[in-house]
Amino acid sequence: MIRVQRLTKHYKVHKRQPGVLAALRSVFRRRFTTVKAVDDISFEIAAGARVGFLGPNGAGKTTTLKVLAGLLAPTAGEVRVKGFVPNERRYEFLRSIMLVAGQKQQLLWDLPPADTFELNRAIYGIAPAEFRERLREMVELLEVEDVVKKPTRQLSLGERMKCELVAALLHRPTVLFLDEPTIGLDVTMQATVRRFVRTYNERYGATVLLTSHNMDDVAALCERVMIIHHGRLIFDGTLADLVRQTLPEKRVTLRLAKAVPGGDLAVLGRVVEHRDDAAILQVRQSDVSDIVKTALATLPVLDLNVEDAPLEEVLANVFAGAEAKRLPEAAS
Amino acid sequence: MRYLRLFFIQLKASLLVAMQYRLDFLIDLGLAILATSSALVPLLVLYGDRQTVAGWTWPQALLVVGFFNVLRGILNSVIQPSLQAVVEHIRRGTLDFVLMKPADAQFLVSTARFEVREVTDSLAGVGIIAYALSRLGEWPGPLGVAAAVLIVGCGVMILYSIFILVVGLAFVWVKVDNLSYLFMSLFDAARWPASVFRGAMAWVFTFILPLAVMTTFPALAVMNRLTPAALAQALLVTAVFLTLSRVAWLQCLRRYTSAGG
Repeated sequence: MIRVQRLTKHYKVHKRQPGVLAALRSVFRRRFTTVKAVDDISFEIAAGARVGFLGPNGAGKTTTLKVLAGLLAPTAGEVRVKGFVPNERRYEFLRSIMLVAGQKQQLLWDLPPADTFELNRAIYGIAPAEFRERLREMVELLEVEDVVKKPTRQLSLGERMKCELVAALLHRPTVLFLDEPTIGLDVTMQATVRRFVRTYNERYGATVLLTSHNMDDVAALCERVMIIHHGRLIFDGTLADLVRQTLPEKRVTLRLAKAVPGGDLAVLGRVVEHRDDAAILQVRQSDVSDIVKTALATLPVLDLNVEDAPLEEVLANVFAGAEAKRLPEAAS
Repeated sequence: MRYLRLFFIQLKASLLVAMQYRLDFLIDLGLAILATSSALVPLLVLYGDRQTVAGWTWPQALLVVGFFNVLRGILNSVIQPSLQAVVEHIRRGTLDFVLMKPADAQFLVSTARFEVREVTDSLAGVGIIAYALSRLGEWPGPLGVAAAVLIVGCGVMILYSIFILVVGLAFVWVKVDNLSYLFMSLFDAARWPASVFRGAMAWVFTFILPLAVMTTFPALAVMNRLTPAALAQALLVTAVFLTLSRVAWLQCLRRYTSAGG
């Protein structure tokens, strides 16, 4: 479905120091530097998969999505999406893909979303009956019946994002790229967007590749994650594998009847957090049952909970590790 | 056929936008009428104390002004707003959405926005032409009218091509507002018959910015004075400009680097 081989994308950017003088200087003489946004990455994605693309800001996620969507030409490497070379932008290819970006909108600002839908209907040549049916289905799923007739500029961010999704999926793309689809949305809206993306994927077998900084998105949607850091792919596998490889220790959360001294906790495992009557310990998987037993026997435990380390922390560890590996490389 | 339908749908969207802001629409309409009448002022001043200018009598020169208004109306209602929108798209990175549509991107952006009110300029132009012809007392034959319409079409295409070229620069430089102002002020020269210009100016306005083709040629056509050679020249110039702009557009798309993210 999607095949990327040794993809590399370099940008030439014009750089200057801050300040008026430097700006003035740059009017006459520009200095360009090459930024390696994506540096030799390869992967394949099967039809119908939901894959999360993770990485810190500027890691190259969006650039990769744009290359896959045919907006940018690769500097080197080979990319195929459904057998097409994206950058040729063949109409047949464009009909089967879509990129939705949380920070950009295609809805016409001054008109109600319904007018944008109508425009897209004409551009994609969707038959009227089919158009009505698709629209009805999505409007229902996203609960935007009352919204689509209001001018876009009067909508809340969440309403707008939902309508963006409708506009993007009217032609029923089989490959969907989502670039931070839940950015800026409240928790309820995030959940609605996630549920909708999941339904769309399951109902129509669409392949979904999404980038997000919101780990809840990733946990809820992605069976597989790819982590990109400074343009390089540093992990490709399931979420469970990622956790196991990076932070295999479990978190034991304790709620206590009364405050206990730190020393009583430290004998059990590494103390991650300790406030009077609550504590979080980090322990090895194999020690979990022993430690739980000891804790229950020696401490005034009200409540006890064992879980994986939070994904945010897992990811922070991955990035820190990659950074540490990169620096000596860069120095040599 | 499909593109014709797309054209009308986009036109409809622009009409809807115009009607969303009613007061704005009315004020703009008033401004447009003012702008149209101001096009006549320099001419009135010039012909206040002489009979001919560069061989053109007052009603003849008025014809040129009429065609100038027609073209300016089309430029301001169709060409300029759409291409302004492209520049905006490029700056904000939303050109991405246009490029992902399964239709010709140049067509989509070129028809994206119409300023309906500016059409009054063109209508006034037609009125001026009619008045000038009645003053001349000599009406064009069907052939003359056909030639004039054809050449106005050529003028529109040339203007459009020049704007596409300007927009092409926006892919590289991002902000090109000044360039389009420069162009608009140069276009202003089209209100004069081409023979007014001498030397380097004549050369520029014939080859770089073929203003003669845009307003002087159609004026000649309705006076039944346009030679077949001039007609051929107009068609050739138009073809050259259209080809040039299409090539430039495709080149620029390849250089598009998107924005944000």
